[in-house]
Amino acid sequence: MAAETTERAEIVGALLDFLARPSATDAEFEAMALRVFAHQFRHNEPYRRFALRRGRTPLAVRRWRDIPAVPIKAFKDLILSCCPPEAAERVFMTSGTTGDARGRSYHPTMAVWDRSMRDNFRDRVMRGRAPIRMGILFPDDEALPNSSLARYLTLARREFGTAGSAGLVGPSGLDLAGLLTALADAEAAGEPYALLGASYAFVPVLDALAASGRRFALPEGSFVLDTGGFKGRSRELDPDAFYDGLSAAFGIARSACLNMYGMTELSTQFYDDGNAVYPSVKSGPHWIRSRVVDPLTGEDLPAGERGVLVHHDLAHFNAVSAILTEDAGEIVPGGFRLLGRVDGEASKGCSVAVAEFLAAARA
Amino acid sequence: MAEFAGHCPGLARDEIGWRIVRHAAWGETVEVALPELSEAQAAALCGQIRERARTALRRMAVARIVEAIDGATARLLDRSHPVRRKAEALLPVVTGYDRETVRLGLTGFLKTFRRPQLLRFLAEDFSDPGLLDGFRPAPKGGLVRAQGPDLLLHVWAGNVPALSLWSLVCGLLVKAGTVGKLASAEPLTAGWFAGLIAEQDPELGECLAAVWWKGGEGASEKVFLREADTVLAYGDDATLAALREKLPIGTRFLSHGHRIGFGVIAREALDRRRAPALARLAAQDVARYEQQGCYSPQMLFVERGGLVAPAEFARYLAHDLAALAARHPRRPLSPGEAAGVAAWRQAQELRDTADLLGEPADPWGVVVLDGDDTLRPSGLNRTVAVVAVDDLDAVPARVAPHRAFLQTAGVAASPERLLRLADGLAAVGVSRITAIGAMTRPEAGWHHDGRFSLLDLVTLTEIEAGAEAAAEGFAPYAD
Repeated sequence: MAAETTERAEIVGALLDFLARPSATDAEFEAMALRVFAHQFRHNEPYRRFALRRGRTPLAVRRWRDIPAVPIKAFKDLILSCCPPEAAERVFMTSGTTGDARGRSYHPTMAVWDRSMRDNFRDRVMRGRAPIRMGILFPDDEALPNSSLARYLTLARREFGTAGSAGLVGPSGLDLAGLLTALADAEAAGEPYALLGASYAFVPVLDALAASGRRFALPEGSFVLDTGGFKGRSRELDPDAFYDGLSAAFGIARSACLNMYGMTELSTQFYDDGNAVYPSVKSGPHWIRSRVVDPLTGEDLPAGERGVLVHHDLAHFNAVSAILTEDAGEIVPGGFRLLGRVDGEASKGCSVAVAEFLAAARA
Repeated sequence: MAEFAGHCPGLARDEIGWRIVRHAAWGETVEVALPELSEAQAAALCGQIRERARTALRRMAVARIVEAIDGATARLLDRSHPVRRKAEALLPVVTGYDRETVRLGLTGFLKTFRRPQLLRFLAEDFSDPGLLDGFRPAPKGGLVRAQGPDLLLHVWAGNVPALSLWSLVCGLLVKAGTVGKLASAEPLTAGWFAGLIAEQDPELGECLAAVWWKGGEGASEKVFLREADTVLAYGDDATLAALREKLPIGTRFLSHGHRIGFGVIAREALDRRRAPALARLAAQDVARYEQQGCYSPQMLFVERGGLVAPAEFARYLAHDLAALAARHPRRPLSPGEAAGVAAWRQAQELRDTADLLGEPADPWGVVVLDGDDTLRPSGLNRTVAVVAVDDLDAVPARVAPHRAFLQTAGVAASPERLLRLADGLAAVGVSRITAIGAMTRPEAGWHHDGRFSLLDLVTLTEIEAGAEAAAEGFAPYAD
C-alpha cells in the first residue's frame, strides 16, 4: 500500500510538472502518456484485462495513439480506478437518466484535476483579463459534490470571479430576480459581467427575457460560457438560434459566447474561441490530445473525415486516460469540430435494435 | 431520370406533387419520386377507392382476384419481364442489399403468391373461402359471410424487398379497398405490383393505391388516418404508438412491431457431420437481409454435451460468415449502423465471460457467451451471439422476459425434443418455429406474429338460424 502511495505521489508530481510546461514536445507527451498507461495498466484491473484482450500492453505499445481507448460506457459498468474506490477524495458521476447506471470517475486527489481546470480556464477563458463578476447558472459543489460541472464552476468563481459573483441556481431553482439585478448593475456600472452555466439553464433565462421584452447591453469584456447541451432538461434549441439568442439578450457578440466541452470521464476541458460560427473549433491544452477514429476499426481517420472522437487526457491519471467517446467529430486545423452524438441506429427493417429494446426494458 | 413510385388511379402524373429521394449504394445512385398528395387529392382518392370497393370489388369473385394476383406475380417472377428487370436493377441500390440477395429474396418470396399458395392461404383462415363471396351455411346453423373493410390503410416500413406485398395481397384477398403508404426504405415494389395488377385486371387496379407522406407531418396523413376503416401498420413501438394515438376510436388498428429472432441448436445436431452444415445454414439466416427482418436471428442458444461444443460451433459459424461475406458482401453501413455494430463489439470486449471472434474490420462478428445470458439484440448487420446452455429446457426462460418482441425461433433438434421445446416456446409467446436456414423465409400461409392474416381483417355478418326460419313464415309459399 505504501509503495502504491509513493508511486501515485510520483506520478502526480510528474503530471503537475508536465502541466506546467506548455512547451512540452510531442516526444515528451508520448513519454508521459506511456508512463501513465503503464501506471493504469498496473493498478487498474478491468483496464488491464481490456488492454490484454486487445494485445496492447505497456511492453507492446510504443506510441500514445496505440494506447487502447476504453468506450465511455465502461465507466458505467466497471470500476475504472487505480486507487481503491473508497480511498477516493472525490467521485464524479454522470447525471444519467432513470434506470441507467451512472458513470463514475474516482479521484484520489483533486490536485491534478484542479490544476488542469485552473490553468486551462486562465489561458482560454480569462486570457489575461482581470477577475470578473460572475453569475453561475448551476448549483455549487457543496450542493452537488459528485458533479464535475459543479466543481468546475465553483472553482471558476473562486479563482477568477470578483467578490460580487453569485450562484444563481439554489435549492428553489433559478434566481431570476437576482440575475436581472446583476445584469442591470453591470450594465449601469460599465463593469464586465460573465454568465456561466449548463446550456439548458440558459433557456429559461432567454425565455423570461423574451417574455418581458427585456434586453441588456453588457459592457465590453463580458462573456457567456455554456456547456453540456440541453440533455432533455430544456427545450432543444438549434445551436445557431441559441447563440443568436444569447447574443441578442445580453448585447454581446457571438464571439463572446464560449462553449466548454467536458465530461465526467475526463479531467480536462476543451474550449472554443467563441461561436461566431457554429460548429466552432474546439481545442484543449498540451496535456490532452484528440483523435477521430473509424467506429468499427478504431483506426485513425484522416483530418476532415467524420468519425468518433477519442480523447487522451494525461490528467485523468487515476482512471483511464484514453477514452472512446460517443461524440462524432472531425479533425480540423487548430483542433476538432464536434458534430453531435454517435447513436446506434434503429433497424432499417423490422428487427429489434438495441435502442428500442432498452426503451422497452425501461418502460 | 427518376423512377416514379406508387400507384394513384385517377390522378395524372403531372397532377401529383413528387418528392425526389436519392438512394446510393454499390457505386450507383437511383432517384425515386414519391407521390405526395394534397389533402384534397387524398380525400378524393379515399372516396373513390371506397366507392370502387363497395361497388366493383365486393362483387368480384375471390377467384378473379386470385387470378389477378397470380398473373402479377408471374410477371414479377419472370426474369425477362421489364418490371422484374427493373426490380433487380434498382432494389439493390435502394435497399443496399447485394444483387444476389435481392434476386434470390424476390424469387423466394414471390413464389408464395402463386395461385396454389394463394388458395392455401385462403384455406388456412377460412374453412369455406366462399363466404368472402356471399352468404354460406354456417355449421351452427344460419348463414354467414365475411367482408373486408371498405378502406384498408397499410403503413409499410423497412427495407426488406417486396415485404409490403404480404399485407397488400391479404387485403385484396378479402376485397378491401386498399391504400398503402410506401416504406421510405423500399418504396418501389408495392407500386410496381399494383401496376401489374391493374394491367391484369383494370377494374381491380382501380380499387388500390400506393402513396407516400412523411410520417407524422405530411398534409395528407390526417386525411388517410381519418378515412381508413382499418389500419394495418408496421414499425417500431414508438411509430406504432404515435400512429394509434391519431386514429379515430372506431378505427381498427392492427400492428406488427419489431421483433427479435433466435435459434436453438440441440446437442444431437452437433456431431462432426451435422454441425458444420448447420453452422452454414445459421450463417445464411444471419446474413440474409443483414438481420433487418423480424424473423432474423440475433442470438443462437447452443446446447452443451454434443460432440461439437458451443464454442466450436461458433467458430464454424464465424468461418461461414466470413465465406458468405465474400459471396454476398455486407451492404455499406450508415454511421448509425456502424455505431451500433461498434457498440456491440465494445460491450462484448468489456465482458469477462465473452469470447469475441473476428476482427473489428470484419463485416461480421460472433461472440461466444458462457453466462446465464437472456435474449438481447446483437449489433445487427451480421453480428450474433452464441450462448452456451446446459439444456434446451433452459431456453424458454431465457427468452421469456422479452415476450413482446418474440416471433420466430429456428430450431435444430430431434422430433421429440422439438415438440417439447415448442411447448415451452409457445408458452412464452413464440409464434413461429422453423428450421435453421429457413428463418427468413416464412412458408406460404404463415400466421404473421401468430395472427390470422385474413380473418383479422374481416367482419362477419351472420343470419341467425332463427331469422332464416322466421323468414320462411313470410315466404309467398308460406301456408
